[in-house]
Amino acid sequence: MSVTDLAYPPLSLAARRRRIGGVVVRDLAALRRSPIRVFEIVFWPVIELVVWGYVTLFLQAQKVPFIVSMLLGAVLLWQVLHRAANEVAIGFLEDIWSRNLLNVHVTPVTPAEYLTGLVLFSLTKIAASIVIMAVLAYVLYGFGLLTVGIGLVPFMAVLMVMGWALAVVAISCVLRFGEGAQVIAWSLVFVFQPLAGVFYPVSVLPQALQTIAAFVPATHVFEGMRAVLGGGAIPWDRLTAAACLDVAYVAAALWLYGLTLRHARTKGRLSRFGE
Amino acid sequence: MGILEAVDLAKRFGDVQAVDGISLTVGTGEIAGLLGPNGAGKSTTLHMLLGLVTPDSGTVRMFGLDLARHRTEVLSRVNFSASYLGLPGVLHVREVLDAFARLYGLRRPRRRVAEIVDLLDLGALARRKVIELSSGQHTRVQLAKALLNEPRLLILDEPTAALDPDAGDRIRGLLVRVARETGTALLITSHNMREVERMCDRIHFVSAGRIVARGSAAELASDFGVDDLEEVFLKVAREGTVPA
Repeated sequence: MSVTDLAYPPLSLAARRRRIGGVVVRDLAALRRSPIRVFEIVFWPVIELVVWGYVTLFLQAQKVPFIVSMLLGAVLLWQVLHRAANEVAIGFLEDIWSRNLLNVHVTPVTPAEYLTGLVLFSLTKIAASIVIMAVLAYVLYGFGLLTVGIGLVPFMAVLMVMGWALAVVAISCVLRFGEGAQVIAWSLVFVFQPLAGVFYPVSVLPQALQTIAAFVPATHVFEGMRAVLGGGAIPWDRLTAAACLDVAYVAAALWLYGLTLRHARTKGRLSRFGE
Repeated sequence: MGILEAVDLAKRFGDVQAVDGISLTVGTGEIAGLLGPNGAGKSTTLHMLLGLVTPDSGTVRMFGLDLARHRTEVLSRVNFSASYLGLPGVLHVREVLDAFARLYGLRRPRRRVAEIVDLLDLGALARRKVIELSSGQHTRVQLAKALLNEPRLLILDEPTAALDPDAGDRIRGLLVRVARETGTALLITSHNMREVERMCDRIHFVSAGRIVARGSAAELASDFGVDDLEEVFLKVAREGTVPA
């Protein structure tokens, strides 16, 4: 069998699709074979939902209006951001933990294809988490996620894209500083939690922080969600701003990834991930 | 046309000149050995040939293409196996091979995996998790991965390091057969001098980041005035001597 018969031309769209699919298929197989990873999809969303759910029930008893929907909506949307950031980074870290990263880097898979594969795989886990949480929120607290309306789709999309950008930044940090930097993969998203006004309106922040928060895509999502749940219209201007910020975040993250990958190859750090 | 042409590769890490002007070529169907003591610069050289490490200077061309500018095209026709690399431990062997078949852009990944499983006699391991394999079995799976895309250049870092003599012998036979029958070029490092003598058409001896001698095993032994490759290795490693 000749090479041409065996493989697609390396720069063809079919080859690119096949290589991206390779990353997805591999990670799906790993998920299927790892009960711990499946358990994780259920565990954290349920814990968050139970804790915050009962807090909201308590506050509701104190006659605070809209509190159930606002806090549960916030918990659900926060999970979207959190999972998007974590799952992509974990996909990369699993290649490091299994000393497989060099095997991947000597394949024709391009950095863009590799990241695309990780992102597509993360979608499956995010979707599973959302469904589980939405069902539980409805069953336990009578909160229907769909009450957010059509705005739910762009809200989630903005948060996912931001999460993926943060994941790429975390991966870049590991490439630059080594395995010790993997703590960044778990914690980077939490830097944005107070700024994004997940559980409170941004107006309660000091002015300086409000200014910074305006440059965080998630801020506009959570503010928008509160507006919708409070009976207002979908704030498309905020969503547009958030989408523009997402583009900037992704561009910056990819630039950083390219920079750190080149640096890792130049300094020999990439090779050390195989040791 | 040469399969691999590396010209004047150099790499420095801090104060250490890991590779200092290495040039080598590997032709179609040739089995070349890259030998030298630990720390001589063999792995760094291999990693530069694979694009894992960017050389400070020098060029790598494969199949007439510059690696730095045609990375995807070049790497689709190359493969690599090293005893120190791992594979995703929770996956079954067949799943690992299937994933890599896709990463190499193969048209029919499952069919190719079935062929490779047969070729390397991995049928009994196909449904076992990688993490459950012995080191010898793991090496065989790595080699299976390395043959998936029918590479025109196969780079092997200690290919039989963890294999027992019988399995090692079978793998050596297989690799020689692959090179002779398909024209695949092999570049291997090994500390098993008998293996190198048996397999390699040409040997490049590396010491302190430079190639200090090259030739067939018989030529090298003759040049160094010793009986076999092991004595050549000891001379290079202990004395750094190079025949006039």
